[in-house]
Amino acid sequence: MPLISTRALTKRYPGVTALDALTVEIEPGVIGLVGANGAGKSTLIKILLGLLPATEGQARVLDLDSATQGERIRELVGYMPEHDCLPPDVSATEFVAHMARVSGLPSGAARERTADVLRHVGLYEERYRPIGGYSTGMKQRVKLAQSLVHDPSVLFLDEPTNGLDPAGRDEMLALIERIGREFGIAVIVASHLLGEIERVAGWLVAIDSGRLLRTASLSSFTERTGQLLVETEEEADPLAARLGARGIAARADGRTVIVEIAAAAEGEYAIYDAVRDEAVALGLPLIRIEHRRHQLEDLFRTGGDDERAA
Amino acid sequence: MSAQPEAAGTIYDIGYRHYDGPRLGRRGAIGAMVSAGLRAVFGLGRSGRSKIIPWGAVVFALMPAVVAVAIRVLAGDLLDLYTYENYLWEIGALMPIFVAAQAPELVVNDIRHHVLPLYFSRPMGRFDYVASKVVALGLGLLSLTLVPVLLLFLGQVLAAEDVAAALGDEIGALPGILGNGLLHAVVLASLGIAICSLAARRAYAAGAVLAIFLVGGVIGAIFTESGGNLREIAPFVSPLAIIDGAREWLFGGAAPQSPVGASGVPLPVYGLATLVLLLISWAILALRYRRISV
Repeated sequence: MPLISTRALTKRYPGVTALDALTVEIEPGVIGLVGANGAGKSTLIKILLGLLPATEGQARVLDLDSATQGERIRELVGYMPEHDCLPPDVSATEFVAHMARVSGLPSGAARERTADVLRHVGLYEERYRPIGGYSTGMKQRVKLAQSLVHDPSVLFLDEPTNGLDPAGRDEMLALIERIGREFGIAVIVASHLLGEIERVAGWLVAIDSGRLLRTASLSSFTERTGQLLVETEEEADPLAARLGARGIAARADGRTVIVEIAAAAEGEYAIYDAVRDEAVALGLPLIRIEHRRHQLEDLFRTGGDDERAA
Repeated sequence: MSAQPEAAGTIYDIGYRHYDGPRLGRRGAIGAMVSAGLRAVFGLGRSGRSKIIPWGAVVFALMPAVVAVAIRVLAGDLLDLYTYENYLWEIGALMPIFVAAQAPELVVNDIRHHVLPLYFSRPMGRFDYVASKVVALGLGLLSLTLVPVLLLFLGQVLAAEDVAAALGDEIGALPGILGNGLLHAVVLASLGIAICSLAARRAYAAGAVLAIFLVGGVIGAIFTESGGNLREIAPFVSPLAIIDGAREWLFGGAAPQSPVGASGVPLPVYGLATLVLLLISWAILALRYRRISV
């Protein structure tokens, strides 16, 4: 049973299609839900929580139908929204305990888990003070705590590092990683910041304009591409041209040349030699030669190409 | 992350513990909302200042009943200034004050600070949220609309020479007392929460509640004084007078000071007007909370 599965999930607003026939299956772990702002990440989360009705298609969370069993789903999942959502005039302890009870926990358990969870997210003495006086970082911790207090099976975090300074960002990402690996809770992290997702997620779901771009393990996103990246000190066009003349597929892009090595008949090492020889012949200083790896950004570039081709 | 020794011992990080106890689902969620709402209505767990108005209103609402019962105990049956019928009309000003002070507490900040998405991502729906707020305020209002009149009732019975006979005499009024208390609580709570749900700040919400109830009451009084056609419509500019008319229609007995008596409009019309007030409140709430996106 997948953690989450959607079939042809579509959400249309007047004039905008937020989700366009999205079909995806997600297995437990720390999952990055990546896409630009407006790609449909938040819409997807809200449909999965049963907060928004889908226009068409189906979504299941923990094998429960989000359209008809939303109440049961919401008992078992936690949700940290993107925007501010905390009342300023109550303390973190009071608020998180209240949210625990609203999640269905009896009051004794609610108090106990509130103390536990606030400690786990790193709120100590300040938890008895009104939330209104907290820093952004502390507020994000309270938001995380309220989503975690009822020990959910799945946690939905919408842009959890929003508004945090670099140190706060690191701490939040470390916490998320700990929740996934140590607490054993499946975490869906929606973010437009690929660099952050890369640090915590083991699996990625990339969406763009409400459509699934790709879903794969993080390592397969960043594996070797079968291309050699040659960076030079000057314009690289002549190098690409000379390599081309030798029958090697190469294209220049400013001061870099991308050389295809996977498909080359003469083998990898012959190509290294060719690059070296031609660079020497041109008197072109080299800065580096390396196997090119996929970058997460490529995902969106390629996605754009596919779209035009379709 | 060093564990510091404390009086009670040493704090160890025992790691994350999973919860496998009971989950009470929607009923638990609604119960938690209502009990938290009731605490807010009476300022419990809050500063002393936020207890002044609700508890002050309760004390003032009880005072006539306490005095009436005391006089009855000390001097026999002398005072019938306050009856089951007119009691709520006489303490009428306290109810808008109570609602104005406490209803904004229940709903305004949840909207203003976008707390609603957190609630709606719990095992309850929008209807449950709104209903739990109305119920919390309504239960709180019963301390004004039911408790004092019940005290008056108990005083009448227990202070009598022959308790059994007095109980026999008075018991017939009990359904009216309960019904009237509920009627006032339900209408005032619905109207109060509806008005407050539209306000951006707690102060605006309080002002709006006071304006609608007290200004309506004053205009109603002026209309009654001026006589003629205005006297006929006078009760209908004041929500409390409309509810009083419905009370008279349902349970009988006039409240002498109420503009209902001076107006010739048939009593069922008040019942209808009360129903309209309720429907308007609920329509406002339905539209307001459907419009809030999560």
